[in-house]
Amino acid sequence: MAECDAEWELCKENIQPLRQGRSVSALHQALCQQQEGNHTALNQQKQAFESELRLYDGDDPLDVWFRYIKWTKQTYPQGGKESNLSLLLERAVTRFTADKKYHNDVRYIELWIDFAEGSPEPMDVYRYMQAQGIGTMQAALYIAWSEEYEKRGNIKMADSVFQDGIKCGAEPVEKLQVFHRALQARACRQMMTSMTDQQNDDDDDDEDEGSSEPQRSSLAELKAKGKKKPVVPINRANASIGYARGLQFKQPLGPKQNSRLMIFDENKVPESEPQEPKFEIWTAPPTARAKENEQKPEKWTNVKMPLKSRSGLSVAVPPPKPSFQPFVEEDDQPPAVTPCKINPAVNSVLSARKPCRPEQTPLKMLQERQQMMQLQTQEDGKIREQSMYCKELLFSGATEFCFEELRAERYRQKWARKLQTQSSAADDEKPVESSEK
Amino acid sequence: MSLFGTNTGFGSGGTGVFGTTTTDSHNPMKDVEVTSPPDDSISCLAFSPPTMPGNFLIGGSWANDVRCWEVQDNGQTVPKAQQMHTGPVLDVCWSDDGSKVFTASCDKTAKMWDLNSNQTIQIAQHEGPIRTIHWIKAPNYSCVMTGSWDKTLKFWDTRSPNPMMSLQMPERCYCADVVYPMAVVATAERGLIVYQLENQPSEFRRIESPLKHQHRCVAIFKDKQSKPTGFALGSIEGRVAIHYINPPNPAKDNFTFKCHRSNGTNTATPQDIYAVNAISFHPVHGTLATVGSDGRFSFWDKDARTKLKTSEQLDQPITACCFNNNGNIFAYASSYDWSKGHEYYNPQKKNYIFLRNAAEELKPRNKK
Repeated sequence: MAECDAEWELCKENIQPLRQGRSVSALHQALCQQQEGNHTALNQQKQAFESELRLYDGDDPLDVWFRYIKWTKQTYPQGGKESNLSLLLERAVTRFTADKKYHNDVRYIELWIDFAEGSPEPMDVYRYMQAQGIGTMQAALYIAWSEEYEKRGNIKMADSVFQDGIKCGAEPVEKLQVFHRALQARACRQMMTSMTDQQNDDDDDDEDEGSSEPQRSSLAELKAKGKKKPVVPINRANASIGYARGLQFKQPLGPKQNSRLMIFDENKVPESEPQEPKFEIWTAPPTARAKENEQKPEKWTNVKMPLKSRSGLSVAVPPPKPSFQPFVEEDDQPPAVTPCKINPAVNSVLSARKPCRPEQTPLKMLQERQQMMQLQTQEDGKIREQSMYCKELLFSGATEFCFEELRAERYRQKWARKLQTQSSAADDEKPVESSEK
Repeated sequence: MSLFGTNTGFGSGGTGVFGTTTTDSHNPMKDVEVTSPPDDSISCLAFSPPTMPGNFLIGGSWANDVRCWEVQDNGQTVPKAQQMHTGPVLDVCWSDDGSKVFTASCDKTAKMWDLNSNQTIQIAQHEGPIRTIHWIKAPNYSCVMTGSWDKTLKFWDTRSPNPMMSLQMPERCYCADVVYPMAVVATAERGLIVYQLENQPSEFRRIESPLKHQHRCVAIFKDKQSKPTGFALGSIEGRVAIHYINPPNPAKDNFTFKCHRSNGTNTATPQDIYAVNAISFHPVHGTLATVGSDGRFSFWDKDARTKLKTSEQLDQPITACCFNNNGNIFAYASSYDWSKGHEYYNPQKKNYIFLRNAAEELKPRNKK
């Protein structure tokens, strides 16, 4: 174990912090397992969870997902592609969106918050949740949401979120109030320090200053130039930028323009303006994947050129790929093997991400489900295809299953139950002699 | 050299015990029914190699058994022997001399069945169910290759309990094929790896999948000089890709085609897409057969890029197929493939293996 202790020290910056903290023993075990390349036990456990997901027929399916995700977080402290954590979260949250009974289930909210934090637009997720009534009675939602606002320097909205929560009567109220007070305290402190800093600002030039202060003032300086607004690296400093360390961001509240345009986000309009109207359009949760170099998935991607419909409509489908041929190397062998810790089985760590299948985006999935529930209405003139196999069963977890795996799993469970009843029957009848069939 | 004689031989009827023509569609093609078929879904079929006189058919099933039939020249099938595993059997193969049969099972073991003595011994062990098993006969070594859901590919000298070699794969093995010196493995998450087997097995290339959906079956084809040159890959959504390893013009030579779909031309109703359960190449003509979840089999000529024939629809999916060593017999199994999950499983439903005369129907369209 001494080795593993050292290991933890070596890679602690890679370990994603969890809200509720990590169990040290689980962390050690996870790191040891990864170090030794012991993937078998991991795989088996993963497969067991995947099977359970598909074969579960009880009342509380959320439980399986929750346990699976919890296990994944503990076992893969670094997160990353191997863990499929983001995919699992995405699937879990979208699966139960329509299920009212889970809307204020603490576990479900926790999944949603994890999902939001991992997505490129947490604000959208929180707004969606509120619109759908998910978590509106739970303090956790408001706490996480206001934290997000605070990270972006919008103390005003952070405050109003808390007030919303208290107004809605979210549970537990005391917790909300405690966090609210803490926020207000921080806000006051910030105002005090920023006022003193403002005076310093006027003297200095637009250069990197920041050595005397612990904050990242360099970014804030840039905005005065007007070129680039401080892009708050939210995801990088994820949980460490918490309510406890709100001081880290110097956000002067003086000049009005600064407080409003804290974050420049090329994909998003400044949030303070169209908040109310946006509620209408949140009928489906936003896509979560923070992928780079990926074109935004469009609904038309998987549709071939449609024939002219009966009504004579011909829709021009925008081509999903760019018109030039991107250069592709002839040789698609994996790079030459240099000794590295990456297990060859996980060669895909550095591979280019393929564009995700349209079926997998939550938007599409939700829409597909809605379609199925409404007894698919005919669409005009499109050749529709229908897969004659149990897609849901095959693809419900993080990885796919094939027919044989489904069947084998069912066989295995049936056999396990049989053995259990046999052995208990044997125990009942003949307590003295232990027979094993 | 047709094994079944004239058309009025055993080919007619293919009926039940009472000799009346049955109206149900379990055998619309009126092919020969193999006697004593397994009691549960048939997962794999394999005919004996040319080194052995006669035709012997091996079939593994989800009833945990492996059965052997002798197929006589007049078309009669005689059950010969049977062996059991402790879990469903997923794949079977013959040794090159026809004296041994290798069986792979969900019980994580593979066994070697000596047909002469009718004894089996375990020759392989994995951490998960073994999905594929193939015999490799190289000039300087012979071994059994097993692909498993534990993401490893292992090579076994049947005399030793430890594998000669173990290769790690990125994902679970879903299907594989071996034609020395080439092996192809298709894995979960659309992985595709080619191995070269000369001297010792090693990974040759990882290929980006030509298909968009889950890989289901793969079969290697040979060129005019009988050297393996490419493979056919079937997916879960009615499509097969023909892929050459080193084609002169990849964009033109590699292609995919749709198969096992319903009402192709009728656009008013949605097209039903079925999984391709198995692919087999005719040993002489180089044409291929595909069998699908829709309960049909089809014959194709990949060089002429045409379909040669599609069968009538059986009332159950077709789960496995194979040709005998001279290409005269085409065997296919009709049983539930679990494509719609547990609810559509009827344990009462009978499973069948049919034999069809394949000498004529698989002749290529244009003889070059």
